Amino acid sequence: MALSEFQLFRPKTIQSAVALLAQHKGDIQVLAGGTDLLPSMRQKLFAPKYVLDIRGVEELKRIRVLAGGGLEIGALVTLSQIEDSEFIRRNYPVLRKAAMTIASPILRNMGTIGGNICLDTRCLWYNQSYAWRTSCGFCIKKDGSLCHVAPGGSKCWAVFSGDTPPALLCLGAEIEIAGPGGTRRIALADLYTGLGDTRLKIAKDEMLTRVFIRESMSGYRGAYQKLRVRGSIDYPLAGVAVIVKSSGRHAPVQDAKVAITAVNPSPMLVVGADHALIGRAVDEHIATVVGELAARTAKPLTTSALTPEYRREMIKVFAKRAVLEAAAG
Amino acid sequence: MQKEFSIIGKPVALVDAAQKTTGLGKYTDDLSLPGMLVGKILHSPYPHARIRKIDLTRARAVQGVVAIVTGQDAPTSYGILPIGHDEHALVVDKVRYVGDNIACVAATTEAAAENALELIDVEYELLPAWFDPEDSMKAESNLIHENKPHNIEKEYHHVFGDPERGLAEADYVAEARYMANEVTHAAMEPHSTLASFEFDPQTGKQGRLTVWSSTQVPYYLQHKLSLVLDMPMSQIRVIKPLVGGGFGGKSEVIPLEIIAAVAARAAKTPVKITYTREEVFWAHRGRPRTIIDLKTGVKNDGRITAVRARVVQDGGGYCSYGPVTILYSGALLGALYDIPNVQYDGYRVLTNKPACGAMRGHGTVNVRFAFESQLDEICAHLKLDAAAVRRKNLLKPPCVTVNGLRVLSYGLPECIEKVANASQWPVRRGRLGRGRGIGMACSHYVSGAANSIIKSDMPHSTVNIKIDRDGGVVVYTGASEIGQGSDTMTAQIVAEVLGCSMKRVKVIAADTDLTPIDLGSYSSRVTLMSGNAAQRAAEDVRKKIEQAAAKKLNCSQEELVFRGDLIWRRGAELENTGEQLRAQGRIEGQILRESVLQERKEQDARDHLSFEEAVVAAIDFSGTLTGTGSYAPPADARGGKFKGAGVGPSPAYSYSAQVAEVSVDEETGQVTVHKIWAAHDCGRALNPVAVEGQVVGSVWMGLGQALQEEMIWKDGLLMNPGLLEYRSPSSVESPEIETFIVESVDPEGPFGAKEAGEGSLAATIPAIANAIYDAVGIRLREAPFTPERVLAALRAQKSQKKVNMTEGVDPERPVSFREHGGSLCFRGKGPTRHPLDPAVREQSKAEQPSPVGGDD
Ligand SMILES: Cc1cc2nc3c(=O)[nH]c(=O)nc-3n(C[C@H](O)[C@H](O)[C@H](O)COP(=O)(O)OP(=O)(O)OC[C@H]3O[C@@H](n4cnc5c(N)ncnc54)[C@H](O)[C@@H]3O)c2cc1C
Repeated sequence: MALSEFQLFRPKTIQSAVALLAQHKGDIQVLAGGTDLLPSMRQKLFAPKYVLDIRGVEELKRIRVLAGGGLEIGALVTLSQIEDSEFIRRNYPVLRKAAMTIASPILRNMGTIGGNICLDTRCLWYNQSYAWRTSCGFCIKKDGSLCHVAPGGSKCWAVFSGDTPPALLCLGAEIEIAGPGGTRRIALADLYTGLGDTRLKIAKDEMLTRVFIRESMSGYRGAYQKLRVRGSIDYPLAGVAVIVKSSGRHAPVQDAKVAITAVNPSPMLVVGADHALIGRAVDEHIATVVGELAARTAKPLTTSALTPEYRREMIKVFAKRAVLEAAAG
Repeated sequence: MQKEFSIIGKPVALVDAAQKTTGLGKYTDDLSLPGMLVGKILHSPYPHARIRKIDLTRARAVQGVVAIVTGQDAPTSYGILPIGHDEHALVVDKVRYVGDNIACVAATTEAAAENALELIDVEYELLPAWFDPEDSMKAESNLIHENKPHNIEKEYHHVFGDPERGLAEADYVAEARYMANEVTHAAMEPHSTLASFEFDPQTGKQGRLTVWSSTQVPYYLQHKLSLVLDMPMSQIRVIKPLVGGGFGGKSEVIPLEIIAAVAARAAKTPVKITYTREEVFWAHRGRPRTIIDLKTGVKNDGRITAVRARVVQDGGGYCSYGPVTILYSGALLGALYDIPNVQYDGYRVLTNKPACGAMRGHGTVNVRFAFESQLDEICAHLKLDAAAVRRKNLLKPPCVTVNGLRVLSYGLPECIEKVANASQWPVRRGRLGRGRGIGMACSHYVSGAANSIIKSDMPHSTVNIKIDRDGGVVVYTGASEIGQGSDTMTAQIVAEVLGCSMKRVKVIAADTDLTPIDLGSYSSRVTLMSGNAAQRAAEDVRKKIEQAAAKKLNCSQEELVFRGDLIWRRGAELENTGEQLRAQGRIEGQILRESVLQERKEQDARDHLSFEEAVVAAIDFSGTLTGTGSYAPPADARGGKFKGAGVGPSPAYSYSAQVAEVSVDEETGQVTVHKIWAAHDCGRALNPVAVEGQVVGSVWMGLGQALQEEMIWKDGLLMNPGLLEYRSPSSVESPEIETFIVESVDPEGPFGAKEAGEGSLAATIPAIANAIYDAVGIRLREAPFTPERVLAALRAQKSQKKVNMTEGVDPERPVSFREHGGSLCFRGKGPTRHPLDPAVREQSKAEQPSPVGGDD
């Protein structure tokens, strides 16, 4: 499958990158590691006239401990860098655990955190070649008007399948978005639309530049549990991230967060999970309750392998296990 | 023959290993020729449709397009079997599966070719399509091939012994339906073909054709090209470069191989086509999904009295190897155990899906899964030990089975012994605690088919050898190295017979201009058949060397010893000086000046010759030094006379026994295989590392089919046509495998060797199924045992709240194949189509359809 023709830009600064985005608004696509974008371009899911390779922007390749505390991660930081960061391992273990489950070592050397956050949503009816999609009459996300997964509706259910965003949601991460008018900073939770097709609340002339994690979020124990069929190179079929803060294994939980991925069009914080956990010592029962809450948030459909019913059951099990694992430290 | 071998039986590196690992070796897609174009194929978006019209006007106008060909450019049908010529490289009237081949664009760039594909206008008349094999068998109209009533490609009904009585005499009869979903080869190298015509120097017209192709069967390809292109075989040369795995997927002619030649003819310049991974899935020829209704009768002590099997295979849209597959499924019920009474009803059914064909363990795997599972169920029911019951039903070779298979060597008892001991079977089976278990299963396979596809008396393999004054041994063999080690095996055998070093031997293989006919690399035939031919060719040429050497050494031919690049008279003590002599011999042998030769002649008769000296002497003596050998299976190994008796008989059978150890996560249904003990009887291990590699590879491939690999269908649409979604195991979940080589030394094999590449696969799936049963007491009768199937069975066992996790199919009592969710998308499928399907919406634009279904 040939890549269609495009013009490649390789800016060295955020400013020039954003200027190019503004200039070619709508016809241009950001390329970071390219591990998601390039296969999709071969399948003709995207045929941008211009491609903006931002890998020349050196300042986005750093993990930086901020003077006032907290952490800044440049959008171009690779998943391997996150895996190898001693600081992240010590302070934000959930992020490292999630990053380590992604794809394979080679893909993690290429893939970036920015790309993982902005990852396109996936669906068995969408991530296919042009010829294949012709045979199903296309779908609502690309070139068509029907959702094969939920044919009654007009909503796209393509599923968000990134592994690090649930961890980042737990950590209350914020992101910096650069546009022609300068930068703005929003909670990561506000980035996602909840719809498979529009997916990100980011304007066509904007790009993600940095991720911030507050210092107060360090020291949480964390766990990431991922449902997969194959031991490596497998997108999550369901994923659960959990962070827990307490003074000891059996001490009451002071704070906690639970987030899930790969079962909705966006990664989601599990509402109420913190309330269920705070003030109590974690045990099997509480963990099960959290599992139920997580399953209520999940909306798995036939976008992916295995059955939706099974994936929903697994959200329960994996959430329970992640809570127990995080509590055990 | 010497008792101790110098080359065979030693773990030698494969002769092409360095080429492959350094990237120097060339596979077909690495090749290019001046003026070469890229070929891209237009595939059908519909599962079943008549083609009314193909308009190429818009596509032809695309810049860079040189030629576009359609079915009209090659209207002759073909197929791998003489009884199954039902394919066209490019369809002429009908498409029969999503992915069927309609047209090919040859263009200067891939992008131009792909753009042109989108501009080919095809008018279809859509036909109702058949997706489920048991539905398809009921078809009265809209047949997939008009000459196949009820869409049945072939059916066979075999009765051996008296199964009726056998079942009546049984103390216990087990009966169940088993289902195995469809799997494909997933060879690393996608299919690729480069075709180029020469211009005839006399006429200036297109003359000879050369085709480089990733194939297991160069001669069949030459034959089918000749048929479809209407050219004499002598004008066609097929060359097989390095091949990155086949597993059966390249064991017949695949559409691109003919399309490339047809396109090159039209474009008047070389054309190369390399399939995308998706196209590889559409070309398929994998293992059909199979329904097995199995009944086994036993005495209380576990002795089998009768087996009755009804097998339905979902063969896809074309014949391919179908009749052979369905026959193997029945025939290989025999030759593993002693079963006195067998009834077999096999149906090969056509459906609107990509064609199935031969895949590693061809025909035997799914039925073996059913049989070995049922045997385990019987053991559980009668409280018998699974190893003991297998021992109770052993054959007593030499013998001929009830269905006419001749068995001479039989290492199965020793295989069972080895894995039972190593796994501590007697003390660990049933005693590992809930959640962990071990299971046993056995399997076997042919070492080549005793009867070739095309009935004839020709040898199945021929090997020629040429030795020249440089002392180099060049072996010409038609056998196709596809990664299994065929070239290495050939070199080893020749070197062993000639007593020369491996590096002296050059193997020229699989080039139809240079090498004699060999049927190809399939049905595990190469080591036995081509190996025998190589051995005979080497013995032939050795005889000529012996004659000259005996003269030189003043002794009889029988007294000569060939070993370590030296030839000496038996009794001469040469061991310690060997290295020195070899060095000397090399220099002398290669300097062919008269003075040196003269000098040698004047020397006294010696007690040894270097290999070169002997070769030079032999050439001086007889003019040329060549040898030839061929192999055809013996008449008494060719099986019975009944209809379908031709498939199953083999010169020799390999045997395998395995024990798998698994644990089951009862909350998730995930199965972890911790270890597999695999014993394989390969007759003699010519190259033990290669044998181990084949056994380990077979087990891992079986593991994939057991736990995670399956082609997921929705209305004939393959939902996972890629290696990301078609989940072959990665190294992470591939367990430790301890292999045991059993050497039963078969009288028919070269140095006693039998097959090693396929036989182990079939045991892995039931060994795992049986281990799961041992661990948690559930009996999975539908493969693969994916976590949702395992969990569904576990929940049923515990009578927990029922959640439909398996799309309505009970994995313990499967009835029919499932479809993966979503709306129905094909026109003409029938009345059950989803109202919001695009086709229906188009039809009823005026009426507003009411939204139905969906999860929203
Ligand atoms: C075989 C395979 C397996 C995989 N398995 C997993 C897995 O298990 N888990 C997982 O999470 N991912 C997986 N991936 C996806 C991918 O490798 C990772 O998500 C990776 O982090 C993506 O980063 P990238 O830099 O390569 O993204 P790119 O491909 O460069 O970009 C991805 C998307 O984000 C946009 N984008 C990138 N950077 C920015 C930015 N700074 N601002 C705005 N938009 C941006 C791009 O335009 C594009 O739409 C897999 C990919 C492959 C090919």
